[in-house]
Amino acid sequence: MRSSAYTLAASYIGLAIVALALFAAPLWYAWQVTINDNRAEVLQQDSTRLSAVFERSGIAGLSDFIRERVGLQIVEERMLLLVDPQLQPLAGNLPAWPADIPAAAGTYTIKSRLNGKSAQLVLVRTNLPGGYSLLVGRDVSRFQPLAHRFWYGLAAAVGILSLVGVLGAILIRRAILSRIQTIRQTAMAIVQGDLSRRLPAQRGGDELDTLSGTINRMLEQIEQLFRGVRSVSDSIAHDLRTPLAELRSRLEELSLTRPGPERTFEEIDAAVSDVDHVMRIFNALLRLAEMDTGLRRSGFVETDVAGTLAEAVEFYLPAAELKEVQLVYRDHGPLCIAGDPLLLAQAIGNLIDNALKYAGEQGTVTVGCERLADGTALLSVSDNGPGIPDDEKPKAAERFYRGEASRVSPGVGLGLSLVQAVAKLHGGQLELLDNRPGLRAQMRIPALAVSLAAPSLSSDALPRATAAAML
Amino acid sequence: MKLLLVEDNERVSQFVLKGLAEAGHTADHADNGRDGLFLAASEPYDVIVMDRMLPGGIDGLGIIAALRKAGKQTPILILSALSDVDERIRGLKSGGDDYLTKPFAFGELLARVDALTRRSQGSSGVTTLEVGDLRIDLLSRRAMRATRTITLQPREFKLLEYLMRHADQVVTRTMLLENVWDYHFDPQTNVVDVHVSKLRQKIDTATERPLLRTVRNAGYMLTAQD
Repeated sequence: MRSSAYTLAASYIGLAIVALALFAAPLWYAWQVTINDNRAEVLQQDSTRLSAVFERSGIAGLSDFIRERVGLQIVEERMLLLVDPQLQPLAGNLPAWPADIPAAAGTYTIKSRLNGKSAQLVLVRTNLPGGYSLLVGRDVSRFQPLAHRFWYGLAAAVGILSLVGVLGAILIRRAILSRIQTIRQTAMAIVQGDLSRRLPAQRGGDELDTLSGTINRMLEQIEQLFRGVRSVSDSIAHDLRTPLAELRSRLEELSLTRPGPERTFEEIDAAVSDVDHVMRIFNALLRLAEMDTGLRRSGFVETDVAGTLAEAVEFYLPAAELKEVQLVYRDHGPLCIAGDPLLLAQAIGNLIDNALKYAGEQGTVTVGCERLADGTALLSVSDNGPGIPDDEKPKAAERFYRGEASRVSPGVGLGLSLVQAVAKLHGGQLELLDNRPGLRAQMRIPALAVSLAAPSLSSDALPRATAAAML
Repeated sequence: MKLLLVEDNERVSQFVLKGLAEAGHTADHADNGRDGLFLAASEPYDVIVMDRMLPGGIDGLGIIAALRKAGKQTPILILSALSDVDERIRGLKSGGDDYLTKPFAFGELLARVDALTRRSQGSSGVTTLEVGDLRIDLLSRRAMRATRTITLQPREFKLLEYLMRHADQVVTRTMLLENVWDYHFDPQTNVVDVHVSKLRQKIDTATERPLLRTVRNAGYMLTAQD
């Protein structure tokens, strides 16, 4: 199997070697140039000095001088050779005139054998008056090991680098592979239908954790959509069947019994309102489904939710007066959020309608909205009615759920689901709290920027709920 | 009043045509987009009722766009099975004047058709509206019944203004919700009725002739006629 970890490691090793070469090359070059120049310069000075001796005391004097020098010095240090015009040695420590030295004066590098060893000689030839020639040289083969050590060192560095790189690649690959294996197993489980599985992801972890987190959020969303679709089809199967069965039996009975025209028209009117009821449930379900998929965010604008609330309160005020319920709006000034004003109005309307239903005569319903310290908008509707028992709260926002107490009042039981869906669409949540006595329903909607970007789709905050049948 | 119905469903067409005839309107019918466009472009109609999805190569929105491009300003009511708000907005943007979702009650359709004809007759520049001895001044926002001044809240005034602009026509609850409150959803309660009955208490006192009437199974009508 080709592994991206290996490919990556190989490229890194290659890159490191290139970097090493780029580092070593100028070093090598500087060293060579400096040493060679230095060498040639020393030899040049030497031959100048010897030429001066020749000028002062002639060929005999120079021969003596050279013999004396050769006698004193360590042999390998300096090669010296003075020859007559026939290239026969007069003095010096070189046994013979090297064959491949050109006639012109200058600096030459030649390979030769010296005392049975191969040597590399740098020689400076000076032509003296009278046909005499002088060679001043040096054996540089003893610098060879230094150069070799440089190259060995470089090769060792490359070797170690490659080894460490390959080892690292193996280790990294193993670590990554095991995590990828986990991800693959989880993915396979999901493919096989277990949508509740999640990838392991640590908070504040590395890129892979971040990726896992993103994938988890995506799975969350998919699961939620899936649940939404399933619950819509469940709801349709479950709750449209009842009114449709009623309608069917009403029409069938009419067709069988054929009562007088008066009864017939009554039954037809009833059938029409049965159909309207079915349509109402149907529309509410579609609207919920539409919101669950998050498609409705196209209608988001910057909106003053306080104004929306005030209008909703004004809308319901006459209905409250008729029921002798006090409907109070606590105004704290404009409060801008990103949202769909129509949906927010409908959600708050549902909550107010619900509260009015349960507040009872002489009750009080308080609507408020405020900005919390972290920028969250808190919209609340509280009543002082009977509230809902704690054990019913979690179920209350479920679709078609109707609390025991509400079986007698009209409604299809989708109201709170809608409020919950609207809150979620805005990245917030619906909370149902005890108002002691009564119910306090509140929608938390995060600050402007957040809700425009993406709604939180985490399931950790499934709203607690109320026992109310609305719609 | 002469109408054009462009609708491909035979049953719905019959139901609408029959209802329109009973209401005293004459109506032509086209059951596909091509014929619909031809009729709409060549005949003068007071209102066109247009289904959105049509056979015949051109759909409702296409016809509307073509008519508007040709300079035809005939009011158009769009009928559609697509109910969501975005679709509604798209329908109105393409040049439709009102949008009604299927299935609908015939009363609702008729009321909206009537409202559209009234709108096309134009009411700009009017500063006072009168129905019988009820009069409102749109500039000073004052309402009078004969010599009695009626005190109204701003929203009540808007409600009354809408009813007076559509005097002698049936106005449905949904139309009131959409036009007075700008709510395009069903609040599921009779709140609109409560608002109307509050308004009625203010404009029709016991000794006066009632102007604001409830039309059974349809809505309301403000009229001075008997």
